[in-house]
Amino acid sequence: MQLINKIIIFFVKEFKISIKNLSDLFTNIVFFFLSIFIFIFSIGPDKQVLSTFGIGILWALLLLSSTLSLKKYYHDDFNNGSLIIMHMGGLSYEFIAILKIISHFIFVQLPFLITIPIASLFVNLPYSKIILLLISFFIGSLVLSCLGSIAASMNLLNKRNFTLSSLIVMVFSIPVIIFSVGLAQSQENILSLLNILFAILLIFISISPWTSAVCIRLALANS
Amino acid sequence: MLLLNNLEFKRSEKTIFENISFSANSGKIILLKGSNGSGKTTLIKTIINILEPTNGEVFWMGEKIKKNIFNFYKNTTFIMDKTTSAANLTIMENISFWKNLSLSKIKKDEVIRLLNILELTKYQNTKVMYLSMGEIKKLELTRLIIEKKKLWILDEPYNNLDSSSIEIISQTFADHADKKGIILLASHYEPNIKDLEIFNLN
Repeated sequence: MQLINKIIIFFVKEFKISIKNLSDLFTNIVFFFLSIFIFIFSIGPDKQVLSTFGIGILWALLLLSSTLSLKKYYHDDFNNGSLIIMHMGGLSYEFIAILKIISHFIFVQLPFLITIPIASLFVNLPYSKIILLLISFFIGSLVLSCLGSIAASMNLLNKRNFTLSSLIVMVFSIPVIIFSVGLAQSQENILSLLNILFAILLIFISISPWTSAVCIRLALANS
Repeated sequence: MLLLNNLEFKRSEKTIFENISFSANSGKIILLKGSNGSGKTTLIKTIINILEPTNGEVFWMGEKIKKNIFNFYKNTTFIMDKTTSAANLTIMENISFWKNLSLSKIKKDEVIRLLNILELTKYQNTKVMYLSMGEIKKLELTRLIIEKKKLWILDEPYNNLDSSSIEIISQTFADHADKKGIILLASHYEPNIKDLEIFNLN
């Protein structure tokens, strides 16, 4: 019961903070749309070409936009010591990482999910593909949240070169991209691709809280 | 209650402190004194188990703290030299987060009275980022009262405070010691509290 209370408190705080930082989220979404427009302008207005490249473009841009918010992941809580306070409040670092991953998924990635149908209008995607894209993004974004947790916690003490964390996310997200785009473009073997995506998700869910916790501990000990 | 046994900490072959042993029983206030870089913060971080001591043990209630770390944390309020309030939230939102995280049963009028004493009432609904350094520090120190724990560990609690606040805080420490609490503070400033035990780190 106490633990559930603490979880609720954590999410209430995260919700309040993300409401007050709505402009950040809005900027990320604007970045996403502007880059879509730039792609469209540079490729040209050929409908056929756009609908073949569309899914790939959308996925690559979603990945790039989600790396923009990595700096917010643990940094504020680490710099002002909230991580220690939460830990002393009875939550282990592993559990804090799990909660952070869920809250990043809800408050940063899910808003993108809502904008995808609008974005796919611009690249002329058929209705059936939009639904597949949504499903693949739903799973893929959870993987990206897990990856982001690892990358952000690895870079807690890194004050100068934050692009490094984006690189980590991008390297490890290659399999996610391959199978998500494959899922959205395939006609027959949807289920098997879905299974592979789930497998990738399970691998990262089982790795990332523990990796992040170790990195947080190291960062706290060396700060 | 709190017992440090032969604590030693080395960072890349350089000894930060060694042979630190003392015990703190109910009703004691211990001041860790030392010049800059003498290892006050490192010692406190070692006690709180953020850093691993190279040698020695910390005991709480006769048990090694590492054995049951959350039992130790349940009885401890730790005030860092940083301020843990979220800059985007208001004073009241921060207080309610701390209150619920530590499962404290403090009542609303008690919180209001506390804010009144520290002259923070008029900023109740102001975001923390608009407060001055001293006010943020005072807000941080309210955690001592809100969390209602037995052991208080403080790192430089007197930073940025004006003289009247320093008096209020010192009085709070004395009251807590009267109520059988334990206080461990690291500071350059030597506060005017009777029965203050000084532990020199140099």
